Amino acid sequence: MFIKIAIKNICAYRKRSIITVALTAFSTALLIFSSALMTGSHNKMLANAVEVYPGYLQITQKDFRDVPSYDNLIFDVKAMHRKLSSIPGIAAIGARFETFVLFAAENKTVGGMLAGIEPKNENRLSRLAQSLKEGSYLSDGDAAQVYLGVGLAKKLQVKVGDTLAFVGTGADYSFSADILYVKGIFQTGSFDFDNSTAFVNKAYFDDAMAAENYATQIIVLPQNPSKSDALAEQINQQLGTEYQALGWRKSMDGLVEAMELDSVFGYISLAIIFLVIFFVIMIYTLLNIMGRSREIGMMRALGTTPGQVFIMLWMECLILGMLSVFIGGLFGGGLTAYFHFHPIQLSGYEEQFKQYGLMAAALPTVFRPIMIARDILIILTLSLFAAIYPIFKVNRYRPLEAIHHV
Amino acid sequence: MRWRICYFPSVLQLFFLAIFVALPLIPFPRADAAPLDANTIIKRVEDNLNGKTAMMRFSMQVKTSRSLRTIKMTSYAVGKQKSFIRIDYPGRDKGITFLKINNAMWQYVPRIEKIFKIPASMMLQSWMGSDFTNDDLVKESSLSRDYTTRLQAETTNQYTLQLLPQADAAVVWEKIIMTVSRKYFLPMAVKYYDEDGKLVRVIRYLNVKKIGTRFYPTHWLVIPQGTEKSGHQTIIDITEAVFDKPIDNNYFRKTALRRFSN
Amino acid sequence: MFRVIMKLAWASLSRRRGRSLLVISMIAVCLWGLLSLEGLYDGMIAQMIQNATRSDSGDISIFAKGYRQNNELAELVDSAALDKFLKNDGRILSFSKRIMQSGLVATAHYARNITIYGIDLTEEQKNGRLNNYIVSGEYSFANRSKGAIIGAELASKLSAKIGSKIIISAQNMVNEVSSSALKITGILKTHTVLDKNAVFIDRQKTRDLLMVPRGITQVLVTLKNRNKDIAVIQGDLAGIDGLEVWRWDEIYPALLQSKQMNEKFNLIISFLVFCVAGLGIFGVMSVSVLERMREFGIMLALGTKFSQIGSIIMLEAFLMAIMGFGTGSVFGGATLYYLKQYGLNLAIFSKGLEAFGMDSVMRAVIRPQYFFLALAAVMLAAFVSALLPLRFLQRAKPVSLIQTI
Repeated sequence: MFIKIAIKNICAYRKRSIITVALTAFSTALLIFSSALMTGSHNKMLANAVEVYPGYLQITQKDFRDVPSYDNLIFDVKAMHRKLSSIPGIAAIGARFETFVLFAAENKTVGGMLAGIEPKNENRLSRLAQSLKEGSYLSDGDAAQVYLGVGLAKKLQVKVGDTLAFVGTGADYSFSADILYVKGIFQTGSFDFDNSTAFVNKAYFDDAMAAENYATQIIVLPQNPSKSDALAEQINQQLGTEYQALGWRKSMDGLVEAMELDSVFGYISLAIIFLVIFFVIMIYTLLNIMGRSREIGMMRALGTTPGQVFIMLWMECLILGMLSVFIGGLFGGGLTAYFHFHPIQLSGYEEQFKQYGLMAAALPTVFRPIMIARDILIILTLSLFAAIYPIFKVNRYRPLEAIHHV
Repeated sequence: MRWRICYFPSVLQLFFLAIFVALPLIPFPRADAAPLDANTIIKRVEDNLNGKTAMMRFSMQVKTSRSLRTIKMTSYAVGKQKSFIRIDYPGRDKGITFLKINNAMWQYVPRIEKIFKIPASMMLQSWMGSDFTNDDLVKESSLSRDYTTRLQAETTNQYTLQLLPQADAAVVWEKIIMTVSRKYFLPMAVKYYDEDGKLVRVIRYLNVKKIGTRFYPTHWLVIPQGTEKSGHQTIIDITEAVFDKPIDNNYFRKTALRRFSN
Repeated sequence: MFRVIMKLAWASLSRRRGRSLLVISMIAVCLWGLLSLEGLYDGMIAQMIQNATRSDSGDISIFAKGYRQNNELAELVDSAALDKFLKNDGRILSFSKRIMQSGLVATAHYARNITIYGIDLTEEQKNGRLNNYIVSGEYSFANRSKGAIIGAELASKLSAKIGSKIIISAQNMVNEVSSSALKITGILKTHTVLDKNAVFIDRQKTRDLLMVPRGITQVLVTLKNRNKDIAVIQGDLAGIDGLEVWRWDEIYPALLQSKQMNEKFNLIISFLVFCVAGLGIFGVMSVSVLERMREFGIMLALGTKFSQIGSIIMLEAFLMAIMGFGTGSVFGGATLYYLKQYGLNLAIFSKGLEAFGMDSVMRAVIRPQYFFLALAAVMLAAFVSALLPLRFLQRAKPVSLIQTI
């Protein structure tokens, strides 16, 4: 019965109902969309930074991070593969051998990193293949073919098909040198990276570098990237103290924290908007309920208990609230879903992102029903909260006072 | 995404080491009569290790906890400014040549028939995992000039000298303790200490032999201290040396790189 | 007449105290939140820009033509015309001159590639207040210029502290390698790339070391009124032969973009908030007018001009707005002041902040335009919200008003 009365009242006091519903629906949609956008864009930026080259999970010899010398290599890649094969949750594994060399082409000599990678595995572990700009990416059978960054190619003034030479030190401290053919040029968008790195097939490189079965690091792609840290722990236990597996959250903790900070500020801004909305809803509820003092006084005079008045008014708020968050939820969810598949394009702000190594020209939202449900609940609670003061206020009047309320 | 490995300098390491080694000898000092003061001693030691021109053949073994690598080289040097080096062994690296004229440096790698000019910034570059410091690289320091020498102890066979850097000297060592052979006025062992008094490396000069008219230590051991360098050692053996004979100037031209490659 | 109108408006507000207070607190809270946030965000961006311009780029950087491309020591600026300009131009607040060369720093254990900056301590203090970035040791080069000030990250990589000896080596003008021993007298933290690769030494000492008797590599110029003059001065300077002149945002385009993005963001949030606040005022005003329809009808029938009634209603809205603005400004201003003096300590996010070149204590800025804009917005919201009920009132006829219940 309360419900019937509540619905009748809602329809009768249309202005208040519409405004309350509109505001609450707007808040819901805004919260849903904003949190989806923030989470989505942060995830994308982190994923970009991690996927370009570093990888989700890196295994190195325990001292390698502090002292990256040939003394601290992984000296038995095959054994490592065997040990890792027994751990569930790994989607792909690849070995890399990174070293610093001098590149020379014509008369220009430039220092940079030359790394041996496993082209087919690497394709799943990083974005090198996708960053192809000219020519083609490496394949598993390649010999002296090099895939280099666009900045490095410019410094050396080479194009696809040209040759360049490198000289460096092998894993046994021998001289290592060879002539390479430029097979492809890549552009990841990270200025530093494109300016100074080049890649060759590890199978070929192992020969030139006397690095057969060696690696500077092994990259692991977890089946579930968000669980990288847990997987790293598992791997550490399996491999023992000689090696160290590090998930991306630890190895890129600066970036992770920066994203968290950005979220905090985002939510604070939203909180201010919601605070105002909360006030306005309270105002409208107050106006409406106070405007009905007479009516309520009459009911009280006829015998309705304060408790029943409370329930009736509360019902109204509840129904309005649920209706609004439902509409808002649909709208917000719809927006989120749309921008999930058609991320927001940010032209003109790329420079800012590039400087921090975040290649994010398009920001997507994440579509997670749980997040949406959470956001809906938050707004519903807030809107019900906003109604408390007015309801209590009207209940404090005595019936006669209320009837004569002007 | 930064790499943090600098292996290339190991090549430089060999090269500079060769210069370091290509220090000829001037005439063997006469037997001493009166007791000498520290400055005189150190000057004589330095004179015995430095000279005008030198041609040398030597081998260098780079030992780490995992590997042992031997390289044999021939070097020609005029003072500190000009040097030419050729790798003679192992076969794979045979024929690689280096040329240094003042601060310009080139390398030739015969198996790819390419000459590399090594940029100045790389010559000054730091390296990790190397047994030598940049003090050695730059080779601007001179023991007698940059250090104040004190005679710490004296026995029938040797002097023990303590060297402390002069106020403005551009050297990284805070203290050097050198034992000098009284017979030859050659260093026997040199210990290098850092600012906190920690021993950083030891170089031993052994197997003094007569080379031509000179006596010269033909076996050098460079032993870095410290746990992160455990198992590392660099061993130099000088097999042949000719001093103060004029050296063909053609060795110090860019054409030398290919021409004298074999 | 105005006093009567004022009394009536005030009476109307006090009659419904709860309601009025609610609107006033809404505006106050609105304002407080917006002011604090705006000030904090602007403060963050300003700090980032300041760190970069004070320690590295100045408002304007002047180099010899081709220097940024080639980075050769020989590309020096030595122009009498430039010196004259810098000395006499009234728009320039201060400038400092530096000699730069890439080189190596070494201790007994470690060596690192770095850039040597030959500076004059007094000039830098006046121009960029470089001394404020010192975290350890002193802002001095000790006796006979034998000291060096290095970046914090570099110090930790070298395991060096105040008093440690370092050897710097670099190629001089005659292509020889020149070295010098120095003692670390100060360590600084600028939150820019300088922390990792800068060694500051006395300029005259750099001249001796690198054999550069005259000329300098970079001039950092600080302007009195950056926003107004920067483009013009860049043009003027570019007219002098042999120079290349860069604005700070050309050297750090990302910073300028951050600033612009932030301004847009502030505007959007403010707009949203004031719209919603306007809605609140509208609600109250319309109810307030509607419930007094009868009163107004009688007043109109008695001959009160419509404009006078309009004034009462408008005044009510404005009074609430002003009181809300006043309260909000006081709290907002106080918060801003606190944040400006003491800052917000975000040490738990220190790694994230470092990644973006910000200090862990964030200070707000206070700009008069925050208050002016807020006042204008609040007034506008009040005006528009009172307008609709007024239109409604205007169209109705006195007689029907009196008859409303």
